Amino acid sequence: MTAIATNVTLEIDGRALEVPAGTTIFEAAAQMNVTVPVLCHKAGMTPVGVCRACCVQVQQKQKDGTVGPPGRTYTAACMKTCENGMVVTTGVGAIESKDAGPAARKVEMARRTIVELLLAEHPQPCERHKEYHDCELELLAEKLGIKDPIFTPRSFSKGTDDSNPQIAIDHSACILCDRCARACAAVGNDVIGRMGKGLTSAITFDDNQPMGESSCVNCGECMINCPTGAITYSGGVPTKLPYGQPLTVDQLKELPLFSKISSAFLARSEGAVVARTLKKGELLCRQGEYGSTAYYILSGKVDIFLETDLTHVRSQPQKGLFNRVKSLLVPRHESPRSEEGDRTTIPIDAGVDLDRDNPIAQVGVGEVIGEAACLNYQPRSATVRAAEETVVLEMLRNAFDILRRNKQFKAEMEAKYRIRALESHLKSVPMFRELPAEFINHMRDRVKLVGYAPGEEICNQGDAADAFYLVRMGHVKVFEKYADGQTMVLSYLSRGQYFGEMGLLGGGERTANCTALDHVELVRIEKDDFAEMLKTFPDIKRKLTQVAHDRAASNRARSAQTKTMSLPQYIDQGLYQAQSLLILDLEKCTRCDECVRACAQAHDGVSRLIRDGIRYDKYLVTTSCRSCRDPYCMVGCPVGAIRRKNDMEVIIEDHCIGCGRCAEQCPYGNINMHPFELTVRDLSTGEVRQEVRRKAAVCDLCTDQCLGETEDPSCVYACPHDAAHRVDGQTFFNERLMGVEVPGEKTRI
Amino acid sequence: MIVHELHELQEKHGWLTSKGLHELAEKLNVPVHHLHGVASFYPHFRLKPPPKATLHVCTDISCHMRGAPALLQQMRDMAVAAGGGSGGEEIEVKNCSCLGQCDGAPAMLINDEVYARQSLEQLAYWAGQAIGGREVPALSLAPGAKGPYRTNPYATELEHYGALKAILAGGNGGGDDVLKKMAAANLKGMGGAGFPTNRKWEAVKAQPVPAGGKKYVICNADESEVGTFKDRELMKQLPWLLVEAMIICAVVTGAEVGYIYIRHEYHEQIHVLEREIEKAKLMGLVGENILGSGKKFDLSVFVSPGGYVQGEETALMEAIEGNRGQPRNKISDVGLMRAAPVFQGLHASPTVINNVETFCYVPAILVKGPEWFKAQGVNGCEGLKWIGVSGDVNRPGVFEVPMGITYREVIENLAGGIIGGKKMIAFAPSGPSFGLLPAEKADLKLDWNTSVDPVGRILGSGAVVAVAEGRDIVDLALNFTRFYRNESCGKCVPCRVGSQKMVDLIFGILQGTATQEDLAMVPQLAETMSMTSICGLGQVVASPIKSVLAFFKAEVDAHIAAGRAKTTADASFRSSATGNNGHTPVMITAGGKVLR
Repeated sequence: MTAIATNVTLEIDGRALEVPAGTTIFEAAAQMNVTVPVLCHKAGMTPVGVCRACCVQVQQKQKDGTVGPPGRTYTAACMKTCENGMVVTTGVGAIESKDAGPAARKVEMARRTIVELLLAEHPQPCERHKEYHDCELELLAEKLGIKDPIFTPRSFSKGTDDSNPQIAIDHSACILCDRCARACAAVGNDVIGRMGKGLTSAITFDDNQPMGESSCVNCGECMINCPTGAITYSGGVPTKLPYGQPLTVDQLKELPLFSKISSAFLARSEGAVVARTLKKGELLCRQGEYGSTAYYILSGKVDIFLETDLTHVRSQPQKGLFNRVKSLLVPRHESPRSEEGDRTTIPIDAGVDLDRDNPIAQVGVGEVIGEAACLNYQPRSATVRAAEETVVLEMLRNAFDILRRNKQFKAEMEAKYRIRALESHLKSVPMFRELPAEFINHMRDRVKLVGYAPGEEICNQGDAADAFYLVRMGHVKVFEKYADGQTMVLSYLSRGQYFGEMGLLGGGERTANCTALDHVELVRIEKDDFAEMLKTFPDIKRKLTQVAHDRAASNRARSAQTKTMSLPQYIDQGLYQAQSLLILDLEKCTRCDECVRACAQAHDGVSRLIRDGIRYDKYLVTTSCRSCRDPYCMVGCPVGAIRRKNDMEVIIEDHCIGCGRCAEQCPYGNINMHPFELTVRDLSTGEVRQEVRRKAAVCDLCTDQCLGETEDPSCVYACPHDAAHRVDGQTFFNERLMGVEVPGEKTRI
Repeated sequence: MIVHELHELQEKHGWLTSKGLHELAEKLNVPVHHLHGVASFYPHFRLKPPPKATLHVCTDISCHMRGAPALLQQMRDMAVAAGGGSGGEEIEVKNCSCLGQCDGAPAMLINDEVYARQSLEQLAYWAGQAIGGREVPALSLAPGAKGPYRTNPYATELEHYGALKAILAGGNGGGDDVLKKMAAANLKGMGGAGFPTNRKWEAVKAQPVPAGGKKYVICNADESEVGTFKDRELMKQLPWLLVEAMIICAVVTGAEVGYIYIRHEYHEQIHVLEREIEKAKLMGLVGENILGSGKKFDLSVFVSPGGYVQGEETALMEAIEGNRGQPRNKISDVGLMRAAPVFQGLHASPTVINNVETFCYVPAILVKGPEWFKAQGVNGCEGLKWIGVSGDVNRPGVFEVPMGITYREVIENLAGGIIGGKKMIAFAPSGPSFGLLPAEKADLKLDWNTSVDPVGRILGSGAVVAVAEGRDIVDLALNFTRFYRNESCGKCVPCRVGSQKMVDLIFGILQGTATQEDLAMVPQLAETMSMTSICGLGQVVASPIKSVLAFFKAEVDAHIAAGRAKTTADASFRSSATGNNGHTPVMITAGGKVLR
């Protein structure tokens, strides 16, 4: 045997040619400048032969030199490889041509019918053709002289998907060529598939997720490869930063960070990444500011630190007239509160956490700062200052999103965060502090970093408990469901906090539902690894069991109550048990706001009272924050300083940076920002200066320390219309429930 | 195997949860879109929690002629009246494709169990029980044993597997002898294609075992074409013949793994075959070292997750491989055959795939000889044929007939003639594939060479459907075409879109709204579909309308002239002509609200 022939000879449209073996008919025809129309194929792709527009007639030359009969069917030119003695009729241009034979006309007629069929199903013009006049289907139709399709158009829309801010999907314009799916798989993402069957089949992302919520990495390959207006660029997000030096696509491609990202996609995000050069001492951002960008350090070093001192607001009664109270800032060792946090670090929006005793850290090249600010629009959690000349890339969400979905970047970040989450987050919880370095190292390769999209379920009450989680980014909503269908949010967990231990320690079932509130990333420790940890460190087990026990007890107490009454009643119960409720008689109230002013007067000019709350016919009960079933105030605290205690009461911890996010979030206006003039020391420069700083404080209805049994809070005292009353919950509700007349002056205590 | 894993997952929760799919994707290391793509392709899988009860009525030709549209409407009305299930849950009422019970039409699935051979009243009563959440008695579908059959060469059970044992005793597998006898008997693919069986076996035998792989034998027992139910009885009555023939094939070709790919609605046949395989294992005929010959063969039943297109041999292989059951591109029609299943079949390995009936003739040919087999034919034809007869006949059923018997003999004698003593106006020689022929063509012989212009050779799988006077031929053509539209896999454009446009055109004729231009489009669309579709499904979609235009043009013209809509199809079914692909279930929710 001689070597396998490397060339084959065939005839296409009456012309002989020789091509290397393995050449497809489509490619061979192209060599003769015959473009066989095709929609589902593109040079460089593995052909799938589904659009059938490239179908050609193939015959075989016989030994006696005659040409054999045509195949029973036509053959897809994009798939069929050339063979010796093939006689191919492409039919291209046969309808207009006078010389074309009947066979060629038949082939072209079939092709035309295929285009007619597709066009009947296609919006005309589609988004892409409207804008750029380059929808491949519509161009082919124009070329074939087809205007209005002869077939009845489709009677229903196949729908659109605009969940991705940059890429729009119009299923009605999709011709199911599978080019997007192949392109997606070719770059290693493999997110796009085909779902359903027959006429209703469609492209799909993961298991039919909206594109924006799927595991799509936004690389844009699908869009680039789509022949029609089914996948188009939709812009959506503002893409230009007004300062810094914008980077061109070429400049971006030179950075290893962006080298793997498609140019076409980067081009569409141009202006969303800028380089900023900071001189030593220059500020990058300040704590409490709102920002929507993330930073990536290209060179140099920065200091990340808190400007706040670690104190909380306490009201103190003043001697003299009008029951005036004064607000003071006190550190926790001077004024300990129950269930105060005992963590040794403060979680911030960067790769590191800050030490509670000395909240400053220095980070350098390759570090990302401001992820949560960028993705979840949280205020900046700390102040960042250049420690030397530093170049940072500042990027808007669309650019950062591309990066975050890049596999290489993801892997780098993962490696970094795994160890940090274990070292700083886990070890900052006192009970885990004793974990030795070897054990952390051992765990490092075993834990997984898992991401959740906004609204995604993490676990459900009653599911088998299979892991323990540390929150690295975002907020996890933890809530219970009750028999009457109501839910109660137990907590919003943020960075540095953990969950899942209850199920693992208890009956092996999840005791609450957890969902991602925004973009959430968790460090997942598998059940077995967790068990191993507890086994190796019995002290941790003991402490953790105690925590779980306490929590379970309070959960039980709550669920015992909810068994006998519905949740709204239970919430009322919270008020019922309240020592001191402020009620406003809305029939008497003239909305003069004297009460509000009085409150402000009592609290250094900052009112903690807003005339709103739950209404019981003519009464308005100014609610205490514990009555929120869904304490939204906890969402978005950049340093995780606001949380619920086991008894559901809200506590604001000393490391509050005064950004005001919680106050904005509270629908009842129960959180107020107190300004204090303070002497502060800059941790990075050592400089001392006078500044006005704010701290969040919750309305305490002037209880605790400020009033004696027989005194009214300022707001009640100030009301000129006798509309404000301070009552205890039991009295008020018993009267309401038994239909007894209004609590008038007599009920004033 | 992915299909098995999905089955298992569905067993666990009653449906495929997103979480479950993600976990399975991780376990199998495949993208999650792949699992979802597979799951959403097959009717058996559910991606939503299952409704309280499911009522699926077959609306294909034989059932359509025996009251299925009215039955379907009645079930919808009942579910609406009940306001959904007893606890206000959803009830799923929808039409489904042929269940292979055409001789017991109308047939339906109640909670995925087949019910047929019952009065409409009885079916409606059971449907009502299901809606009310009460148990519906399981139904034995056994029409009773028939026979003896000429196909079965064995008089007693003791003789079973005699041909196989003889080959093994003959040493060296006796392979060449087997192939010679099959060639001498002119045994052809009885699924309808008629490809010489010995040539498939020879091709697979001639190839080396692929490196790190195996050769395969597959029995295509997925008969799902409208009107076809002959394999149902063959498998039930003579399962040992199928199992024996597959082992012989394995011994001859060197295949080590075999699958009987069977439609999931054939519960009874699945059970019978599994038992027969178990028996063969105990006899040392399946498994390692068959009767000490050193050959091994692993045979199992693969239950199809559903869909007519799975009967297409490459689509079937895709399903076993855990993919969407879409037929592969045939690039071997001309020139080299490299891509044919005998070269690149299951797992890209040499694979013999034959129909149930083809396999079942092998033992008789070997035991009684090729000459005996050929001599079974009449009217100058050779061999035997199993056929199913349904439609407007008195005794619908499965018959073993001599090849060469005329359609008239089959309909008038074997099947007891047309119901009510009516006149026959038309018959379908093999389901929808070759359209509807006028009654005078009934004198044609059932044979490979019988050909009718414009539909070609009409033997097919032998699914004879007789049509009595008074039926609307255009309505029947629409029903046939809808079946193809509903069952199109959607892979290639001519079939996916063309089948819907063909339904639209025929619907226009039926309604009398079609213009002469519309009629002129039919041949153009038909030509495009038959020449460019990837598989046989798309290639024959146009057969029903082509035959009607050729033989019943007067009826077509009458429809258009009168502009009248004479159809037995109900109004909601009609709406499926546009849009709804027929598989979209109608959900009846609490309060009786109908969702589509």
